[in-house]
Amino acid sequence: MSQFRAKKLDLGCYVNIRNIRDHTKRKVYAQHEPERQALRYLIRNTSLPQRVRAQAQLQLSQMHCYTRYTQIKNRCIMGGKGRGILSDFRMGRYQFRLNALSGNIPGVKKASW
Amino acid sequence: MAVPRSRVLDLMRTQCRIFNTTYNPERLRLGTKILHQRLKGPSIASYYPPRIGTIKQLRRLYPEYDISDEKEDEWIEHLQVQTSRGKAPPKKKKTAADSKKFNKKKH
Repeated sequence: MSQFRAKKLDLGCYVNIRNIRDHTKRKVYAQHEPERQALRYLIRNTSLPQRVRAQAQLQLSQMHCYTRYTQIKNRCIMGGKGRGILSDFRMGRYQFRLNALSGNIPGVKKASW
Repeated sequence: MAVPRSRVLDLMRTQCRIFNTTYNPERLRLGTKILHQRLKGPSIASYYPPRIGTIKQLRRLYPEYDISDEKEDEWIEHLQVQTSRGKAPPKKKKTAADSKKFNKKKH
């Protein structure tokens, strides 16, 4: 779905195609979020006529998959990994360990007791 | 001591006015829950850090300074060497007749 992708690279972190794709999905989601919420409101509102609600359902289901929140996945900004991400630090567990031990992450230190 | 329904409804109405919610004593499903949700798009879109500090951006910000790009300089130098050896890329054809000139089928 490269029609949504930025024409020029706009990522400052580790770059691979999966990170670029996820970044694109995030931007598309942010752009279409109000529309999705409006359609969701129409669908959930039982006081509206059934026809309007059905049409809203159809319209929502026909939106592009990139506008869906479930498409978005947190990825590591240091290495591009998709699993074992600490979302507070946006890093994979090993990258987090490396950066924390070298003191790059403020407020994090190794515990020992 | 049972409180009459009208009193309860009055209380609900006042609550709704104060907290800016929809007065809905019949408990119909009006979907106001969705209108109350915050838009999370901006925070989600800013997950990855933006690309900043490129030489192009620096040049646009400080046009009065002469900022040198090592890679670009290298490329230009390479191109000059190639041009002097006659190995530079050919000139772009301007007209259709020009482009046909060298594309004749060879027998």
